Amino acid sequence: MEVISSVLKFIVNNSSRIMEYTGNHLSLVLTVLVFSLILWIWVGLLISKYDRFANSVIGLANILFVIPSISLFGLFVTIPQLGLGRKSAALALIIYAMMPLVRSVYRGVKSVDPWVIDAGKGMGLSPAQILYQIQIPMAWPVVFAGIRVAVVMITGMATVATFIGERNLGRLIHHGITRGSAEMIIAGAVVVSVIALMLDYIMGLLEKKVTSPGLRHRSEDY
Amino acid sequence: MLEKLIQLHQIKKVFPNTNIPAVDEITFSIEKGNICVFVGPSGCGKTTILRMINRLVEPTSGNIFIDGENVLNVDSDELRRRIGYVIQQIGLLPHRTIEQNVGLVPRLLKWPEAKITQRVVELLEIVGLDPAESAKKYPYQLSGGQMQRVGVARALAADPPIMLMDEPFGAVDPIVRGRLQDEFLRLQQEVKKTICFVTHDINEAIKMGDYIVVMNGGKLVQQGTPMEVLSNPVNHFVKDLIGDDRGVKLLDLTRAESLMTAVTESPAAANDCFCFIDAIQPVKMALEVMMKNDSDMVGIRRGKNVVGTLSWADIKKHIHKISGDQE
Repeated sequence: MEVISSVLKFIVNNSSRIMEYTGNHLSLVLTVLVFSLILWIWVGLLISKYDRFANSVIGLANILFVIPSISLFGLFVTIPQLGLGRKSAALALIIYAMMPLVRSVYRGVKSVDPWVIDAGKGMGLSPAQILYQIQIPMAWPVVFAGIRVAVVMITGMATVATFIGERNLGRLIHHGITRGSAEMIIAGAVVVSVIALMLDYIMGLLEKKVTSPGLRHRSEDY
Repeated sequence: MLEKLIQLHQIKKVFPNTNIPAVDEITFSIEKGNICVFVGPSGCGKTTILRMINRLVEPTSGNIFIDGENVLNVDSDELRRRIGYVIQQIGLLPHRTIEQNVGLVPRLLKWPEAKITQRVVELLEIVGLDPAESAKKYPYQLSGGQMQRVGVARALAADPPIMLMDEPFGAVDPIVRGRLQDEFLRLQQEVKKTICFVTHDINEAIKMGDYIVVMNGGKLVQQGTPMEVLSNPVNHFVKDLIGDDRGVKLLDLTRAESLMTAVTESPAAANDCFCFIDAIQPVKMALEVMMKNDSDMVGIRRGKNVVGTLSWADIKKHIHKISGDQE
């Protein structure tokens, strides 16, 4: 109980700083999310159409994903055009988002029952109509699972960007560690978690909105 | 002379990385308004033939004509919108309602929405589904039999003159299958589509077919009416396919109309009939009605018109013809 009250007290006393960090954190995450979705959904669709590239692209995504984040952030800083700050941080996080997003789009499109596609084709849907009217709508549940993983992951990983100059919630945690202040560490972690849960919740609402009720029962089966 | 709506000329298909043709130089034609059934074991090429008619598979050589037009000269998507397509797996779009599934092709053809709505209601009624109850449902909320009805309704939606049906009733239990077959035959009396029907089940072939094409190993083994195939199998393969109970099959599976004496041949006989059956009912029904009414003859009706007569002597003659060479 004592810990909770002292964490709360810390948050109240430092509200303006926490607000600033939260704003920065959120804007970084949202920037990364927007770019990642545009880029990786598109790549995912491309490799599901041109299957022969699928293994190498997904393999690359896996390799990039296992690079320790702190080293990738650091590496980008050494590139003059990127340097310290937002550009390097955003780029690194976009790269980490590749694995869950590309893979889920590919898997989602590929998981569509081939007989549904055959029936669509047999009734005269063009390849583009099959993609937009069958494959994409049917892939949403799998794609959203990937998006939600990516969102939570980016939110957590963004804390590390504090080491390359981002003034976000990672800084709170970092300072907490150097000063041996549990309140600071916990406050930072709690706010990060709240952001992650909130974004995940929003994505859940969005998923419900775009996924047809005809498919929803399936995910409930699992 | 009936019009030949679909003509296949020396159609051959060799799939990539295989040496043996899946379909080997097959030539035949299908008359307008007929159900032509392709029957044979799996891998005999029957499905491949079907899929070549709407260009889901492109032939290696040979030509297919629909209404005199070479299908290779038609845009494949446009061609398919003019041909109904029903498959065993049904392939309803799970994310669309029944209404949207049935209206799919009309929507592709850019019909006005009001016309589509009206057509969907009409079709659901035709296939025996209650539009008020089922239109807004999703496929997962239906039974297998209901889904297959929706599959048929969807194929009929834009009123295509031709339907391709690949084991359409194969996934439902035998009782539902029998019912769907009967309903479909009744429906066909009204809509008079030209239908290519694929099955591995000889009983279904005899029951559904106006014309049967027996296939094996990519080759056409025998073609003819169910009567011709039943009474005169060309070789052991066809004989084995039919089985030993050809006489009974005839009673059970042959439609009364295929054994009847047409009213045009003997108009007087029709006047003597006091009991009647439907033209598409099996011959055994004729026997049943004859026994019940203590009559030697039944009249055959198509709708309200008497189109022919079927007598005990007619049936006996055919059974003898069919079973004769077995004794």
